[in-house]
Amino acid sequence: MPVSTHGDVELSDSSTNAHSRTLNQFLAGVELKAFKIAQAALRHEDDALDAVQDAMLQLARAYADKPAEEWKPLFYRILENRIRDMQRRRTVRGRVIAWLPFRGDDEDDEPDPIAQAPSNDPSPVKKLELAEAMGALEKALGELPRRQQQVFLLRTLEGLDVAETAIAMGCSEGSVKTHYFRALQALRQQLGESYV
Amino acid sequence: MSAHGEEITEFERQSCLVLEESVLRIDGRVRSRLNQARHAAIEAAAARRRPLWRFFTLAPTAGAAAAALLVAMVLWHRGPQVEVPLPPTVGEAPHPGEDLDLLADGEALDLIQDGDGSGAFYEWAADQTEGNGNETAT
Repeated sequence: MPVSTHGDVELSDSSTNAHSRTLNQFLAGVELKAFKIAQAALRHEDDALDAVQDAMLQLARAYADKPAEEWKPLFYRILENRIRDMQRRRTVRGRVIAWLPFRGDDEDDEPDPIAQAPSNDPSPVKKLELAEAMGALEKALGELPRRQQQVFLLRTLEGLDVAETAIAMGCSEGSVKTHYFRALQALRQQLGESYV
Repeated sequence: MSAHGEEITEFERQSCLVLEESVLRIDGRVRSRLNQARHAAIEAAAARRRPLWRFFTLAPTAGAAAAALLVAMVLWHRGPQVEVPLPPTVGEAPHPGEDLDLLADGEALDLIQDGDGSGAFYEWAADQTEGNGNETAT
């Protein structure tokens, strides 16, 4: 499992050092993809960050003693539960707000200089192509049913196999295959076989 | 071919490429917050694992503190005894329980029944008391 090594935590506690380092490597390896998955589901950056943060904490508190090989499906299972909770809460909040006479736009749209800084810089042409493909894929993903979107991202972006995806989604392997097949069909229909 | 040895189509390969590119383009603010979240999670995990060995490390210190507290409590309870002054009494009034003791005393019955049972001992005792009182007065 490739893990990113950026941002390793300085740990003074020698007895927990090895375990903490393993956990740090695991979380560093999944956090960005997890954020993308949460963002695709919640369509809100801060909510997605909150969901990933909660999932990290929950994994660390409740499942850190499990073997490291089991962490990934468990982490995505926790994240999925968190996303579902947030979506439910949002639905309830939306119903309540719909009754209110005035709805102000509280979105914080101030540009953040750090946020504007690109983390990678490919060639301009490639960048444009990829940006267009990304936009198209994200739009198409947004139109998929939640389970299809989830299975597609877990399998394609995170690279989970069928069994791990089934654990992460809390369903059978047969369901994973069905959802994945339908997701691929729908996306192909929208984007075409070769869209990059 | 996927990481799990499964055949993947061109469409899946392209999608994977696009998604990975989108991950690389995640901005600094998000990366920073994720980094903070990771640190918090690792700290939480470390704190959860810490108590057991901390207990053994801190046991001597905790024991010494408990012993010191115990000694302090004992010394406090056995501190300087303050004698409470009794209220001034007029004469030497017998304690109320004293009469009860006399009545309950088996010897008292013998004294009443002494000799002919006329209570001669008590008469004698009363005479003695009166005599002493007069002697003191004179």
